[in-house]
Amino acid sequence: MKLLPFLLSFLLLIARSPLAEAHVGSSGVIVQKQVGKYQLLVSVQPPDVVPGTAQVTVYLEKGQATSIEGRPVYFFEGDEGAPVAEALKSVGEGRYEGAIWLMQSGSTSIQLTLNGPDGKAEVVIPMLATSTALREMPAGTGAGLAVMGLLLVAMLVTIIGASNADGVTAPGSASGKSFQRRRLVGMAIGGVVLIAVLSGGRMWWNGWADHYRNVQLYKPVPLISTALLDQNGPGRSAGAGVPQVILTMQPDTTGFSKNWQRRRDFNLLVPDHGKLMHTFLVRMPGMDAFAHIHPTRRDSLHYQASLPNLPGGRYLVFMDVVYRSGYAETLSDTVDIPAVKVAASQTAISRKGGINSLTDPDDSYLSTEPMGVKQDAVGKLHLDNDMVSCGKPGASTRLPDGSTMIWTDKSSPVLNAGELYTLKFAVADAAGKAAKLEPYLGMPGHAAILRSDGTVYIHLHPVGTYSMASETMLVDRIADTSRTAPRPNGARFRDSIDTYLTQFKAKPEAEKNALLALQMPGMDHGPNGINNMVTFPYAFPRAGHYRIWVQVKRNGQVLTGAFDTQVK
Amino acid sequence: MQAAFPNSAPAYSLAQPSTINWRLGLPTYVYAVVFASFCIVMGLLWDIMWHMSIGRDGLFSAPHVVMYTGALVSGLFSGYQILSMTFQRNHPDRPKSVRFWGIFYGSLGAMFCVWGALAMLTSAPFDDWWHNTYGLDVQILTPPHTILLVGMMMVQFGAIVAVLAQQNQLTSQADPRLRGRIRLLFTLSAAFMLSVLFVLVSENMGRYASHNSSYYTNAAIIFPFLLLAVGRAAGGDAQFRYPILTVAAIYMLVIAVPSWVLQAFPATPKLGPVRNPITHYQAFIFPLLLVGPGFVLDWVFNRFSKDRATKPLNDWLLAAVTAVAFMLVFLAVQWPFGGFLQESPLARNWFFMSHSWMYAEDPTWEYRYKFGPWFTQTVGQFTTAFSIALLIAFVSARVGLWWGNWMRRVVR
Repeated sequence: MKLLPFLLSFLLLIARSPLAEAHVGSSGVIVQKQVGKYQLLVSVQPPDVVPGTAQVTVYLEKGQATSIEGRPVYFFEGDEGAPVAEALKSVGEGRYEGAIWLMQSGSTSIQLTLNGPDGKAEVVIPMLATSTALREMPAGTGAGLAVMGLLLVAMLVTIIGASNADGVTAPGSASGKSFQRRRLVGMAIGGVVLIAVLSGGRMWWNGWADHYRNVQLYKPVPLISTALLDQNGPGRSAGAGVPQVILTMQPDTTGFSKNWQRRRDFNLLVPDHGKLMHTFLVRMPGMDAFAHIHPTRRDSLHYQASLPNLPGGRYLVFMDVVYRSGYAETLSDTVDIPAVKVAASQTAISRKGGINSLTDPDDSYLSTEPMGVKQDAVGKLHLDNDMVSCGKPGASTRLPDGSTMIWTDKSSPVLNAGELYTLKFAVADAAGKAAKLEPYLGMPGHAAILRSDGTVYIHLHPVGTYSMASETMLVDRIADTSRTAPRPNGARFRDSIDTYLTQFKAKPEAEKNALLALQMPGMDHGPNGINNMVTFPYAFPRAGHYRIWVQVKRNGQVLTGAFDTQVK
Repeated sequence: MQAAFPNSAPAYSLAQPSTINWRLGLPTYVYAVVFASFCIVMGLLWDIMWHMSIGRDGLFSAPHVVMYTGALVSGLFSGYQILSMTFQRNHPDRPKSVRFWGIFYGSLGAMFCVWGALAMLTSAPFDDWWHNTYGLDVQILTPPHTILLVGMMMVQFGAIVAVLAQQNQLTSQADPRLRGRIRLLFTLSAAFMLSVLFVLVSENMGRYASHNSSYYTNAAIIFPFLLLAVGRAAGGDAQFRYPILTVAAIYMLVIAVPSWVLQAFPATPKLGPVRNPITHYQAFIFPLLLVGPGFVLDWVFNRFSKDRATKPLNDWLLAAVTAVAFMLVFLAVQWPFGGFLQESPLARNWFFMSHSWMYAEDPTWEYRYKFGPWFTQTVGQFTTAFSIALLIAFVSARVGLWWGNWMRRVVR
């Protein structure tokens, strides 16, 4: 019986690539949006140990506020279970800061309330409260504590020795040999007892650390993904028999029964902008092939997608899911995708970012140059600083439909880690004029950012780095005044979501976008709707080389542009 | 300060103005450390109720400041006592002190107090690191909190030792007022320490566990030890017939009064989630009815203990008798009383405080006023575990007597 846990832990140890880290590297939540008359940029750094404090910074970009208050609202306890809000401190230039305590793990949010001449406005920032840090004691603290510990031990042994000798000797009586012996005996016994007590304390501490590591510490559910070649898959327009690759992803639920903190109910997944889940595939090591797909649920644990002709090789898989509590996480894995030999015309479709008719119509692909390749030819990827647009260093990439995507307003060739940037991308048509974009999954664009080694991954939107589905779940929950959220029946819940998704998928594009816009009140496309620009607020968490895939939609076609940047 | 009162000679023999005669010749540091012990227990209880009701605190929250005052007062007065004896070659109290590490002179009580204050100090950076590493702990018992509590109890024990050294130096001609004063200080310092010890185990000795053997095992570990030590240490004071009962009664007041008072004050939870929306401080818990076993222990002592009885039992036998007496009376008192507190609607009022409920806990929880099935035991299981508890109580009692004997003899 003990072999299995041992093997599992051994496997986990092997699989403990940096990929296994929580949130895949980007832990902060960034929100940029218009609420009432206020334009806000909010950065929340959740605690890396729970209970702990979330550091909230609000930049008031537009509007006049006299006060900003914040409070934590948990999904299961809701508005009624939230404590009184506390004021954030104004630190000048429209910037406000505060620390908000998150006392338990799980799906939560920071609710900010703005008051001032521009009226009252509220914004809900969904987030995950969970412990992600494994800390060692800093050398300085350790040394200080060790010195104090030794002093305390020495002093206590002395006191015990004295208690057995001096302390019970009447003043004035002679101190003889027996007196010294009593003192030594006392010290010896005291020392032995102390060592026993300290050993017990050490065991207790270790037990605590083990519990933290095994129970409290966040670990994403492992993903088991397989990509199998189906030589006789259902055909495209030509009919049956065209080979295709089927990607199957299965969350590994081993050990769920023994550890409720790590348990997930995959029946309770909720769609995020119209899709049950968003999955990104990136070929390693060059990151030269990219796919953004939307798998279909076969049953509560099996998710499948038919892949187009992605070049064969080893891919990183990032599967973004949101549960009904607003809990959002990324499951990741590595998968070997077999190469498919098909006609050149079919390959051409995928290389252009075209859509396989059997997959989700919103799936998109890009095959491009590997990272780090610097070429001067237009239409290829640049490691920038060889082009200038809008008077600032920028980079451009030619899109499959002949238009060009330009990274504008890039403040410097090399960006700084930890600094909050608004990444701006503009699309120009073949004639160089601003190209009007259409909503892609209900918003102006999507972006995925990946560090060259795969240790940082984020799927972000113009409004920020959070999941819109989480936001909807939390906003709805806060509007509900019941003290506890009901726990739905998993199978029934799954069934209703699947039915909804099937119906949604069958709707015409315009209706889909209208529905999505309704569901995402936070999405403000500006007074003129979507123009030719798309922006993403983001702070690169660490130095390194990053690739950014920016996805927009034009003339019914999803266009993906790739950009590389260095961060120091 | 000590130089002005060269020794602990009875006050009436000194023609001191009555305005400063209130100390009755006892060193100031003795009063200071008893006061420190009081600050510690009050700060601790307030802090617990703060965490049950408000939650959010800082380094300098009011209850913390009260506890720091205790640590500071005990550390400073005891440290001063040690340093003044060390650096004044002619310090009159030097002959009555303990010499350690070649250079220092100090009274034993002061040494305990300084150790306790240093341990409390050490726990602060440890606790801070702990919060950053494992999260803010909302329990009483964690390794850094234990160091803090051990430090606190050491300060409190130092106070007891400081008082006892004074008592044990008294001659038979001592002023009855001084005797009374020492008796009062001893009773208070022992009750303060008993209270902190109770807080230390209170998470395992809640009313919800009172029908489970673990409750009695915990009681067997800590109470015979401390109560018998108190009884034995007070043995020299022939007029003090009921020291254990008195200490137990003061312990009950120390635990109950702050709760009775604080629950009248408004408090709003500042941390979330808030499952129990409260408007006032939530009380800690109603104390154990230790006066019951306390009275019986005093009765046994007065009949069978040395210093008290004409034909005393030896300490091994006495430990056996007191252990059995304590456990049986404790069971007879706490089983029904724990049941009353847990289940009876009559306990849900300001006096018994069973309705007190932390802000983060669900007030509709089905076992709020019921015994949880996880505590259910068969009669056989309970009897077996209780028999083991009796053995533990015997060991605890024997160690307590041995410790009491030492306290009876401490003179420096």
